[in-house]
Amino acid sequence: MISTTAKKQIDNWIAKYPTDRKSSAVMEALKIVQAENENSLTPEAIQAVADYLDMPGISVAEVATFYENYNHRPVGKHTIRFCHNISCMLNGSDDLIAHLEKKLGVKTGEVTKDGLINVKKVECLGACVGAPMFQIGDQYYENLTADKIDEIVDGLK
Amino acid sequence: MADIEIEIDGNIINAKAGEMLIAVTDREGISVPRFCYHKKLSIAANCRMCLVDVEGAPKPQPACSTPISDGMKIHTQNDKAKASQKAVMEFLLINHPLDCPICDQGGECELQDVAMDHGSDVSRFTEGKRIVADSDIGALIQTDMTRCIHCTRCVRFGAEVAGIMEMGGTGRGEDMKIEPFLAEGIQSELSGNMIDVCPVGALTSKPFRYELRSWQMNAVSNVARHDLVGSNIYTQTYKGRVKRIVAKDNESVNETWISDRDRFSYEGLSHENRLLVPKIKVEGAWQEVEWNVALDFAVRGLEKNVRQADQLGALSSNTATLEEFYLLQKILRGTGSENIDHRLNVKDIDNTISLESNIKLAGLEGVDHALVIGSNLRLEQPMINHRLRKASLSGASIDVINAMAFDFNYRINSENIIAPNQTALTLASILKSVLKSAHTEVPEYLGNAEVTEIATQLANQLTDSDNSVIILGEHVINNPQALSISNLISEIAQKTNSTILNVSATANSMAAGLAHFVPGKGGLDVNAMLAANLNAYILLDIYPQYDFHHSVQAIEALSNDDTFVISLNSFKDDVVSEYSDVLLPIASFYETSGSHVNVEGKVQSFTAAVNAPSDAKPAWKVLKVLADLLELPGFHYADSMQVTSEIMHKSYKQHVHDENIDITVKRGVNVIWQKSPYAVDVLSRHAVSLQDTKIGQINSASMNKATAKKLEITQGDNYLGVPVSISESVANSCVFVNANHAIRGQS
Ligand code: SF4
Ligand code: FES
Ligand code: FES
Repeated sequence: MISTTAKKQIDNWIAKYPTDRKSSAVMEALKIVQAENENSLTPEAIQAVADYLDMPGISVAEVATFYENYNHRPVGKHTIRFCHNISCMLNGSDDLIAHLEKKLGVKTGEVTKDGLINVKKVECLGACVGAPMFQIGDQYYENLTADKIDEIVDGLK
Repeated sequence: MADIEIEIDGNIINAKAGEMLIAVTDREGISVPRFCYHKKLSIAANCRMCLVDVEGAPKPQPACSTPISDGMKIHTQNDKAKASQKAVMEFLLINHPLDCPICDQGGECELQDVAMDHGSDVSRFTEGKRIVADSDIGALIQTDMTRCIHCTRCVRFGAEVAGIMEMGGTGRGEDMKIEPFLAEGIQSELSGNMIDVCPVGALTSKPFRYELRSWQMNAVSNVARHDLVGSNIYTQTYKGRVKRIVAKDNESVNETWISDRDRFSYEGLSHENRLLVPKIKVEGAWQEVEWNVALDFAVRGLEKNVRQADQLGALSSNTATLEEFYLLQKILRGTGSENIDHRLNVKDIDNTISLESNIKLAGLEGVDHALVIGSNLRLEQPMINHRLRKASLSGASIDVINAMAFDFNYRINSENIIAPNQTALTLASILKSVLKSAHTEVPEYLGNAEVTEIATQLANQLTDSDNSVIILGEHVINNPQALSISNLISEIAQKTNSTILNVSATANSMAAGLAHFVPGKGGLDVNAMLAANLNAYILLDIYPQYDFHHSVQAIEALSNDDTFVISLNSFKDDVVSEYSDVLLPIASFYETSGSHVNVEGKVQSFTAAVNAPSDAKPAWKVLKVLADLLELPGFHYADSMQVTSEIMHKSYKQHVHDENIDITVKRGVNVIWQKSPYAVDVLSRHAVSLQDTKIGQINSASMNKATAKKLEITQGDNYLGVPVSISESVANSCVFVNANHAIRGQS
């Protein structure tokens, strides 16, 4: 389940912690395994990480489901992380998410048919000054409007 | 213990510095509401229900995680405390479905009780509530996760007590839920305790689903008889039936926990297979008759068939009560026969384990080293294993000598997989190493034992530990060198100052010893009886195909045409009806008064929680009447307690055993035959939900490839009627049979 390269990378992380604290590497290990599995984690992948780090499967699942940066269903080439926390919500994120869903023809969590885009609702990304906002890859897009969204999304390849 | 003084609600209280506040209030009987705190689990402090006002602290403090210090002034009832408790209660109820009318926990729910005391009667919450999907976690526990308040007691129970973390909190915030990972069902042998620790109706008993309200039932204190612990329980009954079993606290026996076997075996009581009416066999045909007719028939049968006193034999299963063992042996000895035995599963009585335990259950927690020999302790004696696990968690190192690798739920220092025919030799080399390093003379019988590296290691562990215990388990009873093994163990224990825990016998067999239910001078043991073709037998709750080691010979001997067999049974069984001449229906667990004797020799008496169904009667009464009809003196008992006190006034000299030690390796394939954990006795075999669990499904004859080749069998074949499973975790030349002869059907 976990490739040799990935194991090597995980071992690097394990080495950074005391020998009896292998489990400290769990977040990085999940990230590495997710990266080599089309950016999402199946239960088998979670179990594999658990086995590799000598942890109960459920403990790893707890971590993997706690953080938003782990995916548990297939994702598109681009993930749009749409903030729906308080500032963005007050500035109309709900309507904009609805607009985006309609434009893409998918609900949040689903992937467009061409496998290009999926939308994920996330909590505050620390960019409240520019609310409403979303993130694609490393890029923040702020002060969103329906038109602006159309333009950004149309530009995605 | 009065280290410091603190003031709670105006009263001065003495306590130890550093204790958690809630431990003090609990001890003093001051009520502080709580959900996540549990005295046997780590402190999570996540529910915030236990907030109290501590003078000087700006905010209310959680009593469960606030260590006390000298002069602290605490208010559990002032406005600040009460307001916080009320606020937390309201917060917890926001997402709670408040479906008490259809909730099994209703009436025994901590949430309900605390809400009554600290909640508000009207909800201000008008928004939608969250709903959580249930997970199917197996046959024993029903989940209704929308009711969960995320106290994480079940999670901590799994991680800390059961030793298998199965439940966990996934997701976050609004989406958090408590669930297992992968819907495989819960595996732990202690899983039912999660029902007890869950403060709400999220985890409830599946077999008990929608049966009754807790206040409709009577709770009777009782003792479970499936293993050597005698866990204390409450049998909860309704209209003469046991409806549920929950744990009863007894720190020195089972603490707060019970095994799933003890909790769910009661289902067997109402199985359709119960034997309900006395029957006699007249000219080969069974007739249902009144008790007096059946007993009369039995007595006449004995008179006619037993021409010489030593032509009568008595055998009993190991689940009988102390009083039943005692009365049956008294009848036999009264008639002049010494043919008495309960060690049905022993191949050769003269060559089996004879070893006395000298450590208390609670003492097991304090050992710093244990050597486990021949036991899958976790599944065989769950509560004893739990004590050992505690020792392990506090640093004890545990070594194992087994014929197969098992799943222990704690760290094993060294797991030595050794073929049964090498066990004696291995112990001999341990002993030799011990003697050598103490510079004592090595006796001749150890001559050719080579001191191996493993032996030295194990010997050093035993010698260097201040408080070491050697635990000898069930797998050794039929080892061709069982007697030598147990003699070697006593030697090693003596030389290394270790204690001994003998868990090789099961259920209530300690009581058989106390009641002297073994052959006396001139008497025959079980195997000798069967070989001697006796004229008559009295059999107490025996199911020969499961109980005897030599089951084929046993059935043959009992089926002899001129053998008169009186069977006292709690369940119907075809083989039993085949060979018996009289069938007397007797009470099962919880239907009779009596006593259990546990591994440390503690005698625990119990009363009947319910009457036996239909015409079945407690066996002690049946035996008493039988004795009266046989006109034997000394059977004037009004209740079973009188029998108990008579036993307590006697003491029997323990058998003196021969000290012979033989360490030569015997060639050949060794079979370790064992009933699987949920098929150990007739009641658990009939407990339907237990059979549907992972552990209930254990049914395999395990051996490695080489052994399979030698026996000319492959995966998928049957060996001794049990499916073969090839695994390299079994020692060479050994077949480990874990047989489950569960009986399906309605209960
Ligand atoms: S299921 Fe019960 S014990 Fe487990 S976290 Fe929820 S409320 Fe607590
Ligand atoms: S609430 Fe959206 S970025 Fe802070
Ligand atoms: S009992 Fe103290 S926080 Fe839960």
